[in-house]
Order: sequence, then structure tokens, then C-alpha cells
Amino acid sequence: MSRAWSDIEAFEEFLDDGGIVEVDDAMPAAYRDAVFNFIEMHANSELMGGLTERDWIPKTPGLRHKMSVLAKTQDEIGHGHLLYMVAADLGIKTRRQMLEDLFAGKSRFHNVFHYQAKTWGDQVAIAFLVDAAALASQQAVFKNCSYGPYRRILKRIISEEGFHMRLGEDRMMRIANGTNAQREMFQESLDRWFWPALQLFGPDSKPNDVLLRWHIKSERNEVLRDKWVQKFVPLLQSYGFTIPAPNLSWDEVTRRWDVGPIDWEPLKRTLAQGGPDSARRIGEARKNWEQTSWVRDALDEQVPA
Amino acid sequence: MIALRDLILAFADDEHLIGQQHTEWIGVTPFLEEDLAFSSIGQDELGHAALLYELALELDDLAPSDTAIDSLAYERPSDEYRSSAFTEYTTNDWAETIVRHWVYDQAEMLRWINVTGSSHQPLAEIVDRVTAEEVYHRLHADAILDSLLANADASSRLVDALERLAPLVPTVLASVDGEDDLVKHRVIRQRTDTLLPDLVTNIDIRFGRTITAPTPSVGRRSRSSSFAPLMSRMREVFDIDPAAIW
Repeated sequence: MSRAWSDIEAFEEFLDDGGIVEVDDAMPAAYRDAVFNFIEMHANSELMGGLTERDWIPKTPGLRHKMSVLAKTQDEIGHGHLLYMVAADLGIKTRRQMLEDLFAGKSRFHNVFHYQAKTWGDQVAIAFLVDAAALASQQAVFKNCSYGPYRRILKRIISEEGFHMRLGEDRMMRIANGTNAQREMFQESLDRWFWPALQLFGPDSKPNDVLLRWHIKSERNEVLRDKWVQKFVPLLQSYGFTIPAPNLSWDEVTRRWDVGPIDWEPLKRTLAQGGPDSARRIGEARKNWEQTSWVRDALDEQVPA
Repeated sequence: MIALRDLILAFADDEHLIGQQHTEWIGVTPFLEEDLAFSSIGQDELGHAALLYELALELDDLAPSDTAIDSLAYERPSDEYRSSAFTEYTTNDWAETIVRHWVYDQAEMLRWINVTGSSHQPLAEIVDRVTAEEVYHRLHADAILDSLLANADASSRLVDALERLAPLVPTVLASVDGEDDLVKHRVIRQRTDTLLPDLVTNIDIRFGRTITAPTPSVGRRSRSSSFAPLMSRMREVFDIDPAAIW
């Protein structure tokens, strides 16, 4: 059943009252665009996250270990698959257009997936730190998201991401309790991934962020970022690792960790496709996409007009 | 006993390597559903390899722990592997990959039928479990080939890929030493290399193309040139620190 609102004020009142928007509602164009852009970026991030990890899947140490890692990557790509469908239903771009824009370097995805997983330690750091950051963001969206189809998909995604985080934690603990070579490798990974993972939450939310106003997001970036800091700083320290933040301090009064000033320049560069591994990452994805176009063309022909 | 162990290792190694090869394609197949299928099939094949390595460990009176499985899977000298050149081979493109997937699963089906009701009880016991999953691998490969072979351009790419793979096909059904005894003791129904005509017939029906006359049995004592780089990639993390547990 399609619903319509007389103007944006009526629509916002509906949202403020906890209203849930469905795909066939006559939602305001600006809301449709905002939801679409948000879900498209989430879908792209799931897929690019899978591609970041794929560099190391074939090298996973252990047969059953590799099966778990494969299952995780299957989940990530599966999330991308679901999210692209939810995004495509908004009628702005088809899945193929979204993928082609992504591989042409025209679309955004999370900053962390513009970095290269250089070692197995990086792979574990991603599963542990980055997945936790992504999960925290998704949980905050799920809590109060006004777009129904997205919220329903997030429920499934969040439950699977919880498993991934535990898998990452389990692997991190084996390294933390492991040999010097393992611990050194993970410390180097932490040095590389701590800040990008923290920056995944983005700079402080603007006072009039439409994503918050329209209940697409329900928590301010700085709040989520701080929760992550309060959890991971002591956790990593308890395993004997050093947090790569020279100005890290503990405030006795507030009883909180402060990582000091955050340099947002790397994030800005990265989101403008100038991240450390953006060119290779996008370039390889584009090359693979082009080299397999004959398969998609042949299958498209099978679909009755 | 040596022949039985070799037979099981040959099967385990092929399952391990084909699963490994599938992992290389995740995220870069032609479309998302195919990425998901390859992740799923790769997990199944690695799982079958683990089951078969467990059977080999039982023959050695060793407990089938993950560490013991991994030592068989990753730590033998290359001349103690029993894999085939067909699964060791690194494909160059998606056409070769999907054709190998189809051919491998046909060969695998023939090998599982060949041990159905085996006198080696532990082997006979895993047949049902594995073949229940394998049905879906073949349905998947057949569904995509049904569509692609109906298209002139795609069909010619696939047939070219088949021609390139053809010289390696007999290796996946090569026998291990001593299989005649295994037939005599009803561990297997027939020598593995005598399954080859059935595979060639299935390929003929599927692709409308008879592949170049297969060579006689090539055995499983030596590795192809693809094996060393593949194994080095698989062992890269293990090699960082042999004492580490990951």
C-alpha cells in the first residue's frame, strides 16, 4: 500500500513518530536519494571488504581454518548481494549500474577498504578491529532506521557480523598468545589499521545531518567512535599491544581514554579515491569485471524480453 | 595398506587442491551469485578433503586433530602428494575455471561411485554424506553451462578452454600404485583409470566435442610444474614461523 505525504514537514513528523517507510511509499525524492546513497555505500563496502580479504584467503593457514574464512567472505559478499537488491528496488540505479560505477571509481565505499591487507596480521586486524567498527555502525543504524527494507536486512547482517567478530577475536587471541614473530606481525598490523578503523566512523556529525534527522542513522559518529575507543584501547593493551597513538591519555576524572587529535586528511584523500590502495583495488576489480563480461552478456541473452 | 592409503590421499589431495583453486576466484567471478556459489563449493571440497585426510590418519593410527590434518595437507614432501596435474593447474581465465569445475565434479562423481559399498568401511561410510553435497555442485555447473553453451561466443570460449584442459583430464582419473589389489579386495569396484572412458563420454555429451584421445595411465608419483608455486602460496603464512599456531 503506497502512502504519500503532503510536504516534507508531514513526512518528518511521520519519521519522528517512529514511522517506517516502505519501498512503494511516495517518499520525498531527497529522502529516497539519501537512503539509496547510504545503502549503496554499504553494499559497495561489503563487496570491497570481501575483495580486501580475498588477497589472503588462499593463504589461510589450515584446512578447517580456511573453511571458516571462506564462510565469512561468503557472508560479506552475500550481504553485498542483499543490499544491492534493496538499493536497486529504490529505482535509482540497477545492480549492474551500481557495480559498474563502483568499478569505474565513481562510487564510495568505506575508507578501510582502500588500504591493502599486506600481511596475515592485517587480515586478522581487519576481522577484529574493522568488523567491530562496521558492526557498531550497523547496530546503531538498525536500532532506529526509518527505512523498513534496509532495517530488516540489517537484522540478518548484524547477526552474521557478530560471528565474524568472534572469529576475528579468536584468531587475534591465538596470535596474542603466540610466538614473538606472530606478536610482532600483529603489532605492525595494529600500527597500520588502528587509525583507519577509527576513521571508519567519520568526522563528528554535522548539527543538521539529514541522515540523523530522517532517522536513517540514529547515533552521532563521534559517539560511536568513542565507544569503539573505550572498548578497544584497553582490550588491545590487555593483550600487551601498543596503541599507535602518541597522545593517548587516560582521564582519571571522566575515566575515559582519549586518543588525541585525529588527522582527517587521510580519510578525505581516501574517499576521493586517493587512498593507499585505491587505484590497484579498483583497477583489478574493473579488469576482472571487463574480462568476464562475455559471461554476463551471454546470460542476459537468455532472459526473455 | 600402502595402496589404500595412496588411494585415499589421491582423493583427499585432489579435493583439497580443487577447493583451494576455488578460493582464488571468490570476489572476481562474473557475478555475485557465482562468487557465493564458489565460496560454498570451495568450503564443501575442503571439508571433503578434511574427511579423507582423517581416514588416512586413521590408517596411520593417528588422532584426526586439525593439526594432524594440516600436517598431511601442507607439510608432506612434494613426492608424497598424490594429487593430479588437473587440480594442480592454475587456470588462466573464467572459461577454464568453469569448465574445470564441471569436468572435476563429473570425475569426482565417478570416483565416489567407485567406492560406494567399499570393503574399507570408513570410506564407505562417508559416501552418502559427501555425494549429497556433490549433487548441488553438479547442478550448479550444469545450470551455468546450459546457458553459456547456448550462446555462440560463450560456447566457443568454453570449447577452447576444454581443448586447453584436455591433456590434463586423464590425470584426474589416474590410478595409484597397487589398485589391482584394491579391486581384488573390493575396496574399489574398478581401477580408477578405467573410469576415464565414462568421463570422456560425459564430456562428449555435454560439450558436443570428443577430447583428444586420452593417454594411458600416468600414475600419481610425480607433481606437475604448477604444484610448487601453488604449495608455496598455500604455505606462506605457515612458513613465517613453523612454531606458530594460527
